[in-house]
Amino acid sequence: MAQIESADVVVVGTGVVGCLIAEQLLDAGHSVLMLEAGPRVERWQIVEKYRNLPPITTTNLDAAYPPTRWAPFLDSTSPLTAVDYLQLEGPNARAYRQDYVRYAGGSTWHWAGICWRLTPEDMRLKSLYGVGRDWAFDYATLEPYYTRVEEALGVCGPSDPGLQWPPIRSKPYPMGRLPFGPGEQKFTDAAARLGLKNLPAAQARNSGVAYDGRPPCCGNNSCIPICPIGAKYDAASSLPRIEAKGGKILVNAVVYRVETGAANQVQAVHYFDPDKQSHRVTGKLFVIACNGIETPKLLLMSADTRNPRGVANSSDQVGRNMMDQPKLVAEATLAEPAWTGVGPVQGSSIMQTSQGDFRAEHAGALFRFNNMARSRLGAIQALKTGLVGKALDAEIRRLSACTAELTIEHELLPDPNNRLTLSDKKDALGIPKPNIYYDVGAYVRKSAEIYSTPLVKQLAHEMGATDVRVTTEFTNSDHIMGGLIMGANPADSVVDVDCRAHDHPNLFLPGGGAMTTAGCGNSTLTMAALALKAADAMTAQLTHA
Amino acid sequence: MENRDPSPDIGSARFSFRFNRRLVLASGVAMVAGLVAAQPWPVRSAVASDDKFMALSRLLIPHRLDPEIGRRIAAELKADQAPVSDHIDALLKLAHDRHATVVEDFFPFASDEAKATALRIISAWYLGVVDDAPGAKIVAYELALMFKPTSDVMTIPTYSISRPNGWGAAAPSLSAMPTF
Repeated sequence: MAQIESADVVVVGTGVVGCLIAEQLLDAGHSVLMLEAGPRVERWQIVEKYRNLPPITTTNLDAAYPPTRWAPFLDSTSPLTAVDYLQLEGPNARAYRQDYVRYAGGSTWHWAGICWRLTPEDMRLKSLYGVGRDWAFDYATLEPYYTRVEEALGVCGPSDPGLQWPPIRSKPYPMGRLPFGPGEQKFTDAAARLGLKNLPAAQARNSGVAYDGRPPCCGNNSCIPICPIGAKYDAASSLPRIEAKGGKILVNAVVYRVETGAANQVQAVHYFDPDKQSHRVTGKLFVIACNGIETPKLLLMSADTRNPRGVANSSDQVGRNMMDQPKLVAEATLAEPAWTGVGPVQGSSIMQTSQGDFRAEHAGALFRFNNMARSRLGAIQALKTGLVGKALDAEIRRLSACTAELTIEHELLPDPNNRLTLSDKKDALGIPKPNIYYDVGAYVRKSAEIYSTPLVKQLAHEMGATDVRVTTEFTNSDHIMGGLIMGANPADSVVDVDCRAHDHPNLFLPGGGAMTTAGCGNSTLTMAALALKAADAMTAQLTHA
Repeated sequence: MENRDPSPDIGSARFSFRFNRRLVLASGVAMVAGLVAAQPWPVRSAVASDDKFMALSRLLIPHRLDPEIGRRIAAELKADQAPVSDHIDALLKLAHDRHATVVEDFFPFASDEAKATALRIISAWYLGVVDDAPGAKIVAYELALMFKPTSDVMTIPTYSISRPNGWGAAAPSLSAMPTF
């Protein structure tokens, strides 16, 4: 075992959370070393990979990111590979097939770029509705961090408070909103006729102007799985900047152990290289930010005599409360064209349906129009009919334009029974695969039954649907939250208000895992806000030391 | 939707394309006639099979076809080997016998086996892959015909047909089929 590296701050994971923290600590004058399990690739390589996928695979959003042997993640290119890594069980096992990427830059490569904030009510579920938990701080505490993240990532959004979510902001968005294509406008108009407001999404995509060295969005409609021009924020722009500021990034370094010392301080992390040679890295502060699945897995793997249930796990809450927004999808056939594929793949949502006193009884939900171009799907379907010539072209055009997908994302409560543990099955390096038990629970099921499914059918019919089919099996939204739950009480939570482990004063676990509740919106902005709050605490801690 | 089309001269390009397509179709039919007259069936040489493959493709698909993509499809299909080559020969002969200029003229009269091969060929030109399955080799992406019937509205993912914030909510009618 060789000790090759040391830094003031060791960051495990190179996604949005790790990058924001690394950059802030470098700016404060501290040395930073980042460890990434996967490889580093260039944007053009992903674009080429994507363009060379057979059409049937393009709906698998991770297909352009083949896992390496040493840093596996869910690979949905075939039914067989899809069940190889994540070991899922429970009534809704299928709904936790989370897509994420173990590459330098993490899942910033293929996130949609959507940047919803939580609302004040989302953070007070227990006191307002008697369900879930309350956050350890309020929206006003989080708001300045939201603003900082919006500036750091380059988030565009509407200037009209009537279109903002929530309209409680200390600063305007750095850029104005992006335009709607025809489909999202049609959805917006249909919602309005039902008394609902479809809001332009806050999104980390440059709107009309360049921002932070990245070009404006040109509507390439491939945000997931890759923005070909870097108009959407991804860590590909952060990583070179971190290096330019003196940060060091080690790739293909699979951290498998967090080592604690006599006072239960973390004193090192250990990683395998692809040949399974072990290396030890020391530091003053440690950040584990390799997403809501890999981080709890690593902590549980690191159990030692001082921490028999795993590092940071005296509360037994590491890996519990696993959350996401369980998704249902309405496939609609329309009498008139809606059109997709104009602008980004996602650009709006109905958010007001996530709020209300009904939350005492059942989950709220977000509704959105999926704007991914349906041309390939239309062609695949039309070709199956055996049509040829002009009739084939007409059917491709009809099926592409007159079909639509409306997505419902439900709020899930933190439930300690939804739990990540270590599987008996091992990956190529001998590291346990994650095992996750998942049940969306009665709160979500009731919402689907009496609230969200009826409402999505109304929306589809208002858009002119002649046929609507709503899925009944919940699927993943890829918003991994809860497994390192934040709270004031060390007995029932993993991290404090700064994402510092209750058990280890120099270990920080920021990101989705720390989120106390999930809300209905995409989780990245909150994850990133927590990262900056943790970075402030780390800077102060290093200064006082 | 304003200024969706980045090339103001594309209208004239489309005009010349239509003109060329008629030429291509006409020459395809002439070439089929020549092949039928001059050579015994089946023809096994690679060049001749490529020519036949393109000639049949032009009869099956009423659009401009890229010969390089045709070569790739023919290679993936093993178009020079039985049974595909036999079906190609049969379809060309059928088209010739029925004086066909478009697919509707002869396709309905083909045998079930030949029809299946014809549909595979059409599918390959549209999807850019011969057999659409995980791991399959792509023969075309941005030139795959599946994107063409909606090219006036829909973006080919990773490409752009707009400019910064240049898109809008205008929804063209279904009947306005692009020329391609």
